Amino acid sequence: MREYAGYIPHIGDEPIETRVLTFEKNGERVEVEVPLLTVEQLNKVTEKVKQASAQFLKSLSVTEIINLLDRVMEQLLDRRHPYRQKAEQVLPIVTGYDEEMVRLGLTSYFKTFRKPQLQRFLVEDLENPLLLDDFQPRPKGGLSKAVGPDVIVHVWAGNVPALPLWSLISGLLVKSGNIGKVSSAEPLFAGWFARLLVEVEPKLADCLAVVWWKGGDVERERAVFGQADVVVGYGSNASLEEMQRRLPVTTRFLPFGHKLSFGIVSRSCLDARKAWHVAHQAAFDIVRYDQQGCYSPHLFYVQTGGIVSPKEFARYVAHELNCFAKRFPRRPLSLEEMAAQASWRQREELDVLVNKEKEVLGNEAGDWTVVYEPERREFAASCLNRVVKIVAFDDISQIISEIAPYRAFLQTVGVAASPKELFEWAEWLGKAGATRVTALGHMTSPEAGWHHDGRFNLRDLVQMVDIESAAEAYAEQFAPYVD
Amino acid sequence: MGMFSGKVIVVTGASRGIGAAIARAFAREHGTVIVNYLQNQQAAEQVAAACAELGGDAWAVQADVTSESAVKQLIEQVMMETGKIDVIVNNAFAPYTFDPDERKLAWELAWEDYQAQIDGALRSTYYMCQAVIPIMKKQGGGSIVNIVTDLVARPVVPYHDYTTAKAALVGYSRNLAAELGPFGIRVNCVAPGLVYPTDASRRTKEEVKEMLIAQTPLRRIATPEDVAGPVLFLASDWSRFMTGQTLFVDGGLIMR
Repeated sequence: MREYAGYIPHIGDEPIETRVLTFEKNGERVEVEVPLLTVEQLNKVTEKVKQASAQFLKSLSVTEIINLLDRVMEQLLDRRHPYRQKAEQVLPIVTGYDEEMVRLGLTSYFKTFRKPQLQRFLVEDLENPLLLDDFQPRPKGGLSKAVGPDVIVHVWAGNVPALPLWSLISGLLVKSGNIGKVSSAEPLFAGWFARLLVEVEPKLADCLAVVWWKGGDVERERAVFGQADVVVGYGSNASLEEMQRRLPVTTRFLPFGHKLSFGIVSRSCLDARKAWHVAHQAAFDIVRYDQQGCYSPHLFYVQTGGIVSPKEFARYVAHELNCFAKRFPRRPLSLEEMAAQASWRQREELDVLVNKEKEVLGNEAGDWTVVYEPERREFAASCLNRVVKIVAFDDISQIISEIAPYRAFLQTVGVAASPKELFEWAEWLGKAGATRVTALGHMTSPEAGWHHDGRFNLRDLVQMVDIESAAEAYAEQFAPYVD
Repeated sequence: MGMFSGKVIVVTGASRGIGAAIARAFAREHGTVIVNYLQNQQAAEQVAAACAELGGDAWAVQADVTSESAVKQLIEQVMMETGKIDVIVNNAFAPYTFDPDERKLAWELAWEDYQAQIDGALRSTYYMCQAVIPIMKKQGGGSIVNIVTDLVARPVVPYHDYTTAKAALVGYSRNLAAELGPFGIRVNCVAPGLVYPTDASRRTKEEVKEMLIAQTPLRRIATPEDVAGPVLFLASDWSRFMTGQTLFVDGGLIMR
């Protein structure tokens, strides 16, 4: 099977060089042809996107843009649509994730970009979405308008299928020209989305481009970054630093680096009826995309003193992971990942010898591991791919002191607790640096309009232009109709 | 040596889903497996190839098991090749889509709907058994395993026509067990819960699956491979003093 990645506006008849990336899973093979533009071609694309979006995209009202995106999502949610079928068939091979997991994940993800969700997203970030269309009166006096950049360059990661949608849709909502560089790990979805959008509104044909180059290609990155007003980067902190070094000082950089997320379970959830349900939800958050998302949990803190002890809870989670291994099998691991997991597990098993209360649970195939720790000595990242620690705690203050050194990395906290605890704990967690508190079972599906890493998705992209009240009053003096 | 070395097993409807998993499981124990199919030759041949790879002997044979003459031919063909039949697994049933939202309501069903399921489950098993009883009697024994459903005990979703036919098959199996016991022929049933994924169950919604999982002690739904173990048990000498029984393979959803 051969698939074509990317989306390039028409820049003349000069041929575009391509590279072929090969993906294989369980004997199925996909060859993905990715476009590798020369620096000169990239410059042409950038110029074209800048011009076309200035002419057409910026002339649309934000409601018109939402309606177009809603039509695209309607098609992507229709399981009979050719692009949807292609996504269900090809993305599991490309990303390695289980077919069912991809299918269910895509549906829940696309639902967050339908019209009402996009409207909520806009109101969340801008309060008055009309700010994107026209100068609007402000409470302070005067008027303001939110102006999107001419060109946004996105450098996407490929850890979760279809991930580029968040930033690409944000870029479209602020009426910017968008150039996205896909990751070699998942090069397909962004291009399909671009083609589908252009099918829905052919006049958008030159307003966006989806390209590829090998990560760290200095020459190409310099060329493209040099023409961007804003660069949105996803990746490891090391690769983000590299990117930043190639940016002109005047270009705004919005980096989304690696994050640490975790869960907390209160003793109020640990009774005979509810404990299993909570364990089921916790296991789902672990299994979803094999913990590869920034919002995926590395560990769960479980409070002592409930009817079900933290140790029993760990065993519930272990059985749930075993069940999920059948329902949504883990993706095949690379050699490096296998080695990392083996050494992680070995270290934990050795530790059991000196720490009798500790337990390491896993199946023979090694496709999940749960480590139970009666008390925590240090907060450590998991090696991922369905490996999790369950740590007993008594009081929230213990957790807060343990996570304190990781402030810059904290993101999502999945909480199972009573309403009183939820609000108390959220207060603590927010102070410690966490930016998102959600229910267990929802950790991997942020709601529409969430504040990614605590930031505003749209507000960070735009620039506000103020007409101060003084200017308005001053102009009155010069009106031809002054009496 | 596998547990079914030298044994001949016929599995109906074995080109996909539960039937294919059962065929592979017998092959893993070195049985000679006849992979019966109706339409999908390519899939059936793939199953047979997989069986061979697992250490069994296998070949795919097309036959419409709702046709008496086709069944006779199938059994004759097997006897020609192998000279005996030790195990029959009646797994085939009439095409049915398990869609809890779009299923027909009781008052929408025509008698023909019931008839189609009765033909698919009961009539086909009847033809297979009629053809194989003389052979097993002559051999002095054999095992017949019929695949039914746990819905016969608790219709969580009332698939009237399908479940009624399967319930009839349970009754048929018990009577047959009573009649054939004196000849050393055992007849038992395996009753799986919802099995996912199969072509028939692909439209079952997540909500229904989650509801079943929450009520199932072992906390998941069955895979085709889960059904194979109990079938092999009932086909083997390990269950030599069991007949007329129904084993529920649904993670404990039904207990009786």
